Amino acid sequence: MRSVLASGAVALIAYALLYASPYGLRVLTVAGVYALAATGFQLVFGLAGALSLAHGAFFGVGAYATGILGSQLGWSFPATFPVSLALPVLLALLVGLPVLRLESHYFALATLGIAQVVLLLAVNTPDLTGGANGLAGVPGIAAFGATLPRGLPLAAAVWAIVALGGLLAWRLARGRWGRALTLLRDDPLAAAALGLDVGRLRLQAFALSALYAGAAGALAVHTQRVVSPEVLEFPVMVSILTIAVVGGRGRVAGAVLGALLLIHLPEWFRFLERSYLILYGGALLAAIVLAPHGLTGLLERLLPPKPRPPPAPLPLPAPAVADGPVLRVEGLAKAFGGVRAVDGVSFTLQSSRITGLIGPNGSGKTTVINLLSGLERPDAGRVDLLGRDLSGARADRIARAGIARTFQSAGLPEDSTVLEAVAAARLERDASIATAEAHALSVLARLGVADRARERCGTLPAGLRRRVELARALARQPRVLLLDEPAAGLTDAEKAELSGHLRAIAADGVAVLVVEHDMGFLLPLADRVLALDQGRVLYDGAPAGVPHDPAVVEAYLGAPA
Amino acid sequence: MTILQLTLNGLALGAAYALVALGFVLVLNAAGAVNFAHGDLVMAGGMLAVALAPHITSFWPAPGLALLPLVLVLMAALGLAVSWLAYLPLRGRPHVSVFISTIAVGIILQNGANALFGGEPRAAPPLLWGGTVALGPLVVSVQSLAILAVAALLIGAQQWVFARTQIGRRLRATAQDPEMARACGIPVTAMILATFALGTAYAGAAGLLLANQFFVTPTAGGDLILKAYIAVTIGGWGSVPGAVVGALLIALFEVGVSAVLSYPVALGALYATLLVILVARPQGLFGEAARRRA
Repeated sequence: MRSVLASGAVALIAYALLYASPYGLRVLTVAGVYALAATGFQLVFGLAGALSLAHGAFFGVGAYATGILGSQLGWSFPATFPVSLALPVLLALLVGLPVLRLESHYFALATLGIAQVVLLLAVNTPDLTGGANGLAGVPGIAAFGATLPRGLPLAAAVWAIVALGGLLAWRLARGRWGRALTLLRDDPLAAAALGLDVGRLRLQAFALSALYAGAAGALAVHTQRVVSPEVLEFPVMVSILTIAVVGGRGRVAGAVLGALLLIHLPEWFRFLERSYLILYGGALLAAIVLAPHGLTGLLERLLPPKPRPPPAPLPLPAPAVADGPVLRVEGLAKAFGGVRAVDGVSFTLQSSRITGLIGPNGSGKTTVINLLSGLERPDAGRVDLLGRDLSGARADRIARAGIARTFQSAGLPEDSTVLEAVAAARLERDASIATAEAHALSVLARLGVADRARERCGTLPAGLRRRVELARALARQPRVLLLDEPAAGLTDAEKAELSGHLRAIAADGVAVLVVEHDMGFLLPLADRVLALDQGRVLYDGAPAGVPHDPAVVEAYLGAPA
Repeated sequence: MTILQLTLNGLALGAAYALVALGFVLVLNAAGAVNFAHGDLVMAGGMLAVALAPHITSFWPAPGLALLPLVLVLMAALGLAVSWLAYLPLRGRPHVSVFISTIAVGIILQNGANALFGGEPRAAPPLLWGGTVALGPLVVSVQSLAILAVAALLIGAQQWVFARTQIGRRLRATAQDPEMARACGIPVTAMILATFALGTAYAGAAGLLLANQFFVTPTAGGDLILKAYIAVTIGGWGSVPGAVVGALLIALFEVGVSAVLSYPVALGALYATLLVILVARPQGLFGEAARRRA
């Protein structure tokens, strides 16, 4: 794969140097501009999964910054280019804070609204922007008294910036940051539960994408020497989106391949004239339906990358822990509408102890776990972890403080390998992906599933998926481990094995809370049992007392006739 | 008096927007997907009317009225084609896939229209005839009254079919809970396709109605999809009556602000209002259940 891309790059350079006409070089330059813009789009849309329809607007803002400063004030490239980078980033930070909280289609709508407002402003403030006609007389790329001539030098300069930006984006995408973004794209709740600050990561991706778009916009007007509202219109956005999807979502190589292909496509279909975007529509539709991973995905299927050798397992250092209370919960309460799902629950989890949490369906068990892990905000109550107040804190802060959880419906990313999924838990702690994977492998080995590290999570049987999820939570090195029905769907043999693992985990000093329906599994395992009914604690004591407690029996079986 | 006049103009525009928003929200509910091409389908309906008009005028006194059933049927067929191409292959994929595939359909429609008709604004024939009538002190264009009547008829028909007929019950069941509907033996896929056909037919009717007074250009769809989206956001995501009310509000706002200031200001203010609503109420005005069962 890599050698194919390298020979492609060599062929491209040879074409530019030896065969390309002046017009061909111009098209190549435009392709470079779009490759840069699409590379930025890969960060926010491909990796972070946010369909930002403001990307064209950031491109346009960068274009106008260079256009206005260059043509009206006579500034040259070293002064205008930084402004074209900074303005879109500022705009992104300004609108990103509120807008990035929105769910998928609302985010797309809001960013489209932003784009339309920017376009309206550009058209209707002729004193600043030249209105619908735009501004002519934008200088070329000039520095230190010399202007870069059109043709090969300009094409080379643009592609040099593409190479630089592409390399940076590629390194970011492959590293911890890129992994974290794909994790929050696929499952924001799980990402937060693994200690990742979802809001900040999204904002970083949004702002960085704006930087790329602004740079591309600036280069576009240096190439065209004119800036007009065209740079803000929907076709720019559509082209970037099409390039990213056809090239391959989330891939820098995809952005470059897609841009080269799609910017040249209209040249091969000259008879369509200004309606060439029909081709883009067709290509976009065909790609999303037939090849959702785009050209790079197809290439990868033809030339599968060699599997990397597995890392050497690196055991996690065992934290020094003292006996005693770890998590104190007092008066925890949460209502949904009029229903009091959790109604004044108090308990304490001790280090090295397993506490069972039982109760009929709808008694509030999962809500307790969601409140403790920060997926829901409590209405009232105090949560205190080793003297640290975590009441009402965000999920990622709680996770970083030392509480880990699993989900009832196992939340592993289908397409990731087991090793990647577990290493995700270490992204926020370890310095590199290699270290994260080495740590992850040692946790998998501890739970006896290291031999499955290379398999995709989506192909695992239910029992193993639960084991991998447990490994992911354990890789957090938590002080408190919250497990939501870990034995559901397991065979008796698997349950026995799970009990053994949970005892070993607790013996290392972890305070374990297990929500479970299966009493045959839970009662022998737990040191203590809490029973909930209608959001209140009915019973708090030894497991042996549970079957004989009249209140618990009544809650499960209904009032005696 | 001006206020009354403006209100009437706003209501006529709002009636056409309501047809757009209604088609959008019906598809949203049934397919669970945002049809981004919806605005371009409105444009396509207008262009279709423009293209068919010369063939009708020669033997019919009210060409617009004769065009209406023709546009409804042809657009319904286009709706089926769109769902077959851009929705059915992507069921079970992430929602964003349908969003992108319908963006693609929109691009094709927009540039197809540009290739066939050019970029200049074009007008469809009026529904009945041009000119105005005096209603007491008000001077009202016949087309405005006709828009109100046709929109009321079409929206009323949709309400009646959904409330009173067997197929309407099936369509509603599909929109409410596709899994449950399938378990009850309702042919869910056929119902979704029927909804696409209906929603697109209504979009086409709106295109025909709008293309007389307001003209139609190949790029008209972009603003229309945003307005449909805003109507649905104001009215409560997924609420059918809410979408109609939202559309009327948007049109009144647009006509009012345009009269006092200008159309670009009205449009800018509308989008800015949308951003404020979205930011103040991130789940839409009436909230959307998006919590995962953890």
